[in-house]
Parts: sequence; C-alpha cells; structure tokens
Amino acid sequence: MEAKKVAVYAATGCRACENAILDISFQVNSLDRFARFEFWPYLLGSRLEDLEKPGDIDVTFFTGAISTECDEEAARRLREKSKILVAFGACAAFGGLPGLVNLQQAKKAPEGCEDGTPELPGLRRRVATLHQIVPVDYFVPGCSPPQNYTWTIMQSLVCQSGAAARMSFAASRLPRRIARSVLSGVLPPSGSVFAGEKAVCASCGRMKQEKLFASLNRIHRIEPDPLRCLLEQGLLCQGLATREGCGGLCTGAGLPCRGCFGKAQDIYDAGAKMVSAVSSTFDTTEAAEMQKIAEAFVDLAGTFYRYTAPAQCALLQTPESKRPADEDFEAAGGACNG
Amino acid sequence: MSTINIGPLRYLEEPSQISIGQNGEGLRSFYQVTAPRDIAAMCKGRPAEELPRILTILSPSHHIASAKALDNLFGIRIPPAAENIRKALGETLTLIHHARKLLFLLQSSTNPPGTRENLRIAVPSSQRRTVDEIMKGIAAFQEAAYILGGRYPHPVTVVAGGVSRPIKEVHKRRLQEIARTCLPYALRLRDIFSETVIGNGWYKPINISFRPVASITSGETENEVVATDKTGAEAARFAPEKVLDTLEILSEPWTYLPFVHEKGKTWEGPLSDKTEGLFFVGPLARLNRATPLAAPPAEAERQRMIGCLGAPPHFSPLAGYWSILVELIASAEKCETLYSEENLSGTETRVVATGSGRRGLAAFEAPEGFVCHRYEVDQRGLVEDVTILDAASENNGLRSFLTQKIAEEAFAAGQPWDQAKKTIELSLVPF
Amino acid sequence: MNPFEPRIITFLCNWCSYVAADAAGVSRLSQKTNTRAVRVFCSGMVDPNYVIKAFAQGADGVLVAGCHPGDCHYIAGNIKALRRSFLLRKLLEELGVDEKRFRLEWIAASEPHKYAKVVNEMSEQIRALGPFSPGCVRD
Repeated sequence: MEAKKVAVYAATGCRACENAILDISFQVNSLDRFARFEFWPYLLGSRLEDLEKPGDIDVTFFTGAISTECDEEAARRLREKSKILVAFGACAAFGGLPGLVNLQQAKKAPEGCEDGTPELPGLRRRVATLHQIVPVDYFVPGCSPPQNYTWTIMQSLVCQSGAAARMSFAASRLPRRIARSVLSGVLPPSGSVFAGEKAVCASCGRMKQEKLFASLNRIHRIEPDPLRCLLEQGLLCQGLATREGCGGLCTGAGLPCRGCFGKAQDIYDAGAKMVSAVSSTFDTTEAAEMQKIAEAFVDLAGTFYRYTAPAQCALLQTPESKRPADEDFEAAGGACNG
Repeated sequence: MSTINIGPLRYLEEPSQISIGQNGEGLRSFYQVTAPRDIAAMCKGRPAEELPRILTILSPSHHIASAKALDNLFGIRIPPAAENIRKALGETLTLIHHARKLLFLLQSSTNPPGTRENLRIAVPSSQRRTVDEIMKGIAAFQEAAYILGGRYPHPVTVVAGGVSRPIKEVHKRRLQEIARTCLPYALRLRDIFSETVIGNGWYKPINISFRPVASITSGETENEVVATDKTGAEAARFAPEKVLDTLEILSEPWTYLPFVHEKGKTWEGPLSDKTEGLFFVGPLARLNRATPLAAPPAEAERQRMIGCLGAPPHFSPLAGYWSILVELIASAEKCETLYSEENLSGTETRVVATGSGRRGLAAFEAPEGFVCHRYEVDQRGLVEDVTILDAASENNGLRSFLTQKIAEEAFAAGQPWDQAKKTIELSLVPF
Repeated sequence: MNPFEPRIITFLCNWCSYVAADAAGVSRLSQKTNTRAVRVFCSGMVDPNYVIKAFAQGADGVLVAGCHPGDCHYIAGNIKALRRSFLLRKLLEELGVDEKRFRLEWIAASEPHKYAKVVNEMSEQIRALGPFSPGCVRD
C-alpha cells in the first residue's frame, strides 16, 4: 500500500495538537508505513508556496482557529489541495480558547508599520473556525484531542484499517456508523465527528442523586465529594451539554467539564441547555430566592462557550459567517440569516 | 531596499518567520511571531479560579504558575501532599520539555546530511532508532503527566489551594515503574548527545557565541527572584512582587509577541544591537548562575560542559542545549524521589479558600524559564486585569539579536539563506 | 417616520395568554402589530433554546406569557418558566441582548387589556432600542 501524503498546519492556537500528532507517529511504529508527511511548517518548515507543487495531498490535519488573513489563506489553499480536510482539535473545530476573544468587542488590527519594518498578517475582526471558511470533511474535537481519537482518525483516514490489530480499541467509543466504517476500511460519512454521540454524563463515573442546587459553588470554595455528580454539588459542570468521548477525564479528576468536545449531538445551543438544566434544579419556588441564587452566577457566556464561542454560540453567529452545511452544524447555521 | 522572507521556522512553539531587509551593505533582520495570542482578552471577565485551565494554552507549566498565583490571591497555604504532587508534575513537564528540545536538535536535518525528499517526519532513517528511543521516553513521561495532571498537554488537576485529587494506588505503582526508567533514559540521552552532537561535530553550526546578556531566575526559595548581570554575578535579589515593577513589556507592530525588558530607557528596542537592559531566562540562565547541582550525574555533566566550554557564564546555543541536557539529568534524578510512594501518599491535597483577595501574584521557574503571573480581580472574583510574563516574550529580545547576528554572518560569508534558516532555527530552540 | 418595525416573537400559553390575546383582538383593543404569536401548551415548555433561537434568527424581542403563579393548568409549569428566566436573562445580557428585549409576563385569560398593554409597551421599547443583530457583543 502506498503511503498517504499527509499535511499538518497550525493556525492560531498552541502546539498541543501538533505535538499529539507528532507523538502518535512515533509511538505507533506502523504509522510510518502508511503516512508520508509532505507539508508541516512546525517540523518541515514548509511554506504555503510549497502547495503550488503538483500532486494532491491525501489528508490534511488543520489545527488552530482562524484569526489572521494568513490563517484564512492557508485554509483555502489546503482545502483546494487536499482530498480530505480534518478540523483537528477544539480550536479548528469550534474556535477553542482563542475564540473567547469573540465574547468581547472586536479589536482593531494593529496600526500600520513604520518604514522599513515588515508587515504582519492582518487580524480578522472575529475569530472563525475552519468550517466557517471552507468545507470540512471531518472533525476531531478536544483540547487537545485524546490519543485514542488521534490514533483512530489516523487509522481510518491514513491507514484505512491497514493496521487492524489496534482498531477495536479505537473504534469502541465511536458512534456505531463511524466505527463500522473505520473497522471496514472505508471512509466514514463526511461531516463525521470523531467522538461520542451522547453527553459526557454518559461516561462520567459520578453518581447522580436528587438534583438540588441550593447555591452556586466555585471550585476553590469547596472540596467536592469524589463520588457524587459535580453539578449536584453546586459546581457549574458542563458535562450534560457536551459531547462525550473523553471518558470523563476532567470530572474524573474532580474538576467540572468545560466543554472542549463541543455541544452534544442533539443540542441547539449549549448555553441554553445549561441554563435550562441548571435552573431547573434551583431548590425553591419563590421568585426572590431564585433571583438570589441566580445572582451568584458569574460569566455564564465565558463558561458555557469556553471552547465554542465562534462556532456554537447561536447568538454570536455573525451574519457574514458562512452557513455550515452538515447536519451537525445545521442548527448553528440556521442562526446565521439574521 | 529588497526584503526577503524566510520561514516558517521549525521547532518553535510560536509560529514565526524571519524578514530580512537588505539595504546596500546593511542588513536588518526581524524575528516575527506571526500568530496572535491575545491572552488578556481570553482571561478578562473569566472567574479567577478558571485561569489555570485557560492559561495552559501558553504551556503546561503555566497551569502550575497560575494556580500558585491563585493561592496567593486567596491567601491559601497548600498542604504538603499537594506541594509534592505539584513538584512531581513540574519535574515531569521539565523532562518532557527538555527531551523534546533535544529531540529537535537530533532530528534536525542540518546535522546529519539529509535532504527533504528522504525525510519522513524530518528524520533520516539512520536517525530513526535514536529518535524512537527519545520518543518512547517522552511517551512514558506523558503517562506520568497524565497521572499527575489528569490530562496532557493541558493538565487540569492543579487548582487554587492544592491539587484536585490524591494519586490512586495503581497509579503510584505505575509512577514508580516510570521512575526507574528516568535516570537511565537521561544518561542514555547524555551518551547520544556526547556521541553525535559533540563527537560527530554537529555542534559546529550552533556554536555561536553571542554578546553577554543579563538573566533572571528564581532563587533557592520560591520567594526570591535573582537577577544576574552579564558576568554571571548576582546583581539583585528581590521578592516576586517587585518583578513587574522592575520589568516592562513592549509591543512592536511587526510582531505579535511582545518584548520584556528592564524598566527604564536603557534598552533601545529590538532593532538595536545593544543588550543593556535586556535579559533572558531558561535552562542556560539557570546554569549560568554556576551553583553546583545536588545530583552527582548532573553535576558531572555540568563539569564536563565547563571543561569543554570554559567557566560560566556561557552565551551560545550550544551551551543552551547542553544546559538542557544537564537539567534533564537533574530532573530525572529528582523524579526518582518525587515519584516515590512516601512522597505521593498524602490524601490531604486541598485547602478550601475562605478569603478573597483582589490581587494575586506568583513567580515560577518553569522548564522553559522564569514566568510570572499577576491577576487583579473584582469583588466577585472576576478577572479585571492580567499581566503574564512568559519565557517566549522574555527571550524575544535575545531571539531578535541572535537572529540578526546569524543573518549578518551568513550574509558576510555569502551563505545561502536556506542554510542560515536552519542555523537560526536550531539556535532559537533552546531559548 | 422610523422605518424600523420590531419583530417580537410571543410564546403564549394555550390556557391563558393565548386566550387573552384572542380576546384582545375580538374586543378591538388597539395593539401594535409587531408580534408573531406562537401558541404553546404551557409557558413551562418554552425552553431557553427557543428564546435563543428566536433571537439568533432575527427576532428583536421575545415575550413569554403564561398563567399567574398558582393558576397553571399543569400545576407548576409557569414556575419552571420563572426559574429559568433569571439565568436566561443573565446569559442573554452577557451576549449583548438588552434586558428589555426579553420579557416573561403572567397574563390570565381574563386580562386582554394587560396583554395589549404589554405588547404595546414592549413594541415601543424595542423600537427605541433599534434592531437586534446577533454577533454584536456589548463592551
């Protein structure tokens, strides 16, 4: 089997996703037989102009959010050149932490340079996700994507089940239709998200009892019970609105979920879902008491849309952003025609 | 005036490039970071206790630094068990960080002759075994980071007031297994380094001495910051609270990464070749203080370095890599005790915050260098202002003039820019 | 004349507010015509998602109207709506939606005058605020 040509590109974010790919390529020796890294600025020093060379790229892993003109151009060029484009990591898929900037007033781009100093790629008014610029074939959420999904997507797109022995591990947590195609070596349906279908609660090991939310707690103010649901202990845990797949890493470590996998499949807006879930557990029927409990909450938007503000916060969908096409992003896309 | 643009540079945490303007005989190079990282915009308005999770975007060690600033903000003394876990995580991050930098040095195609065409992941096949060996170690340390930090590369467990959970029995046993591999691994890296980098003469392109620069490191205790002058002698010692009073942050319109320098007009900016008022941080800065190391193998390696390069302070990328190696050995030795059963067996890992301050500050010696966080919060605990010194912006000035020096020399020698680019990349990695 | 005509989505409870709205029409009370009514079976079923979706798709205001507390056909549906309204209003405000654009009102079947008053009031307030456009965050 001929080695697939792979490209990796980082826009605005950090190197965590790229390092995840770098690590996996060494940890799993067999990948070497299947992948040939053709374009990778971080490790090969590739320039965008290198993409003008003839020949397509089989799979491109795009990490980072789109916040400069240069990011945007890279997205377009890589889309043109690649058979498969993967939004890899929370930044590329939903905007990630750099997308938090969208919760504030748009910033002005840096002023013009003095004579003789070089120019910088200009800042976009708003941070965008890859999908808002060009069509994307697959999404791998997570900040950064856990190793098993990194490996799964490598397996399924690059190796196409050529290294079958390790497949079952990777496939076990995927939605059935993706897992089936991964195992049989055909490409999963376009638009697939390489993560679970349900909410994080489905894989969180904590016990849920009666839901009572007497008052908001903040993580530095309490030592949560290690066995009970964090939300029931008054911590704002976003597990119930977040796509499953991490296996409850953060809740397992005693910390509330912050939604780096994006919203779960059937949710329209994660913030609205959280508002509804959290307030329905307020332990009162008196308006004044409700008001008092609600007052303790701070920074709802920054918490509910921590990793997803540019893509999945329905109210932040700017009219100029493109309408996403696949079913998973349809809901958010519907929000665009203001 | 003609401008050429070389980049993107490999191996650097920040996407960056070099722009070189030629004007007659003169030449002016710019080290440009091309991706914005608007940390203040990400943090403002967030609840303070969330910052450790947000700031991992800078580097995993900022997770710990941020939690320390929160400890001070809420006025908490953390329990010893939490301190131990944090230390163990810190050393683990050092191992990963340092091993990765050495990996970049060893896999760079400037060193062994190799062309881009026969590279898979930039590694010629002859180098593959060595590289695989290093990566195997990194994988083991990542597992340790997973156990201690809950996640990697963005750890989550370090919170204000300690660590969110104690270590499980099964994980402690695994950590001890990893502990046993640390020192042999570090020593193996030492052998690879002395064989290939020193023995095969790969060090030559990166053996570039640059002008002496002052440096800043943490003191022996956490509550001291040491400023060292150009001769390596201690110039000042002050409390972390004073750090931000003595330093200043400068933004330039041609790069997204700011410059940090000493307050006052002594430094004339990144375009001057003067180093007055400039400082650097990191492994080399720490080793330049010339304090003997506690661990015998690490001290032996430090002596070997002194034997080869002369007495500290050193100012060259080669010395930068060498100090990374020395520190890696020291960290590996420390991990043997830090991962031990006794060290990690405490179950009291959290203290709940009762107070609420308005300002929190912490200085922390991260693997990549001295970092400092300062937060101002309102009475609801929402962040109003953040000031963060990270190693990249502190070393930005050094990177700039190092780039200029290499570019000038390459131009004078008539070297092709492609060659100069490789030298620049490898020279910037240890800083 | 101001050409801007606000679009207000009203979620009206089948058992009270919708009847009040109907009665307001039958009794020929003067009302602004900026509302688009959605009949729901209880104000308690108006999920925050509906409100956010309405704004995201171009509504300038949202009115949720239900029975007075204690009169709910389903015992406590309106209390559910009330519970959600506090956090929802907070989230909307953080995302740049003025608090006047979202209202929760108790309007019994026998209160067509109140219905007309609320609608007229809201319409005027939103006209003064101007159109809402998603994606604009306040500072």
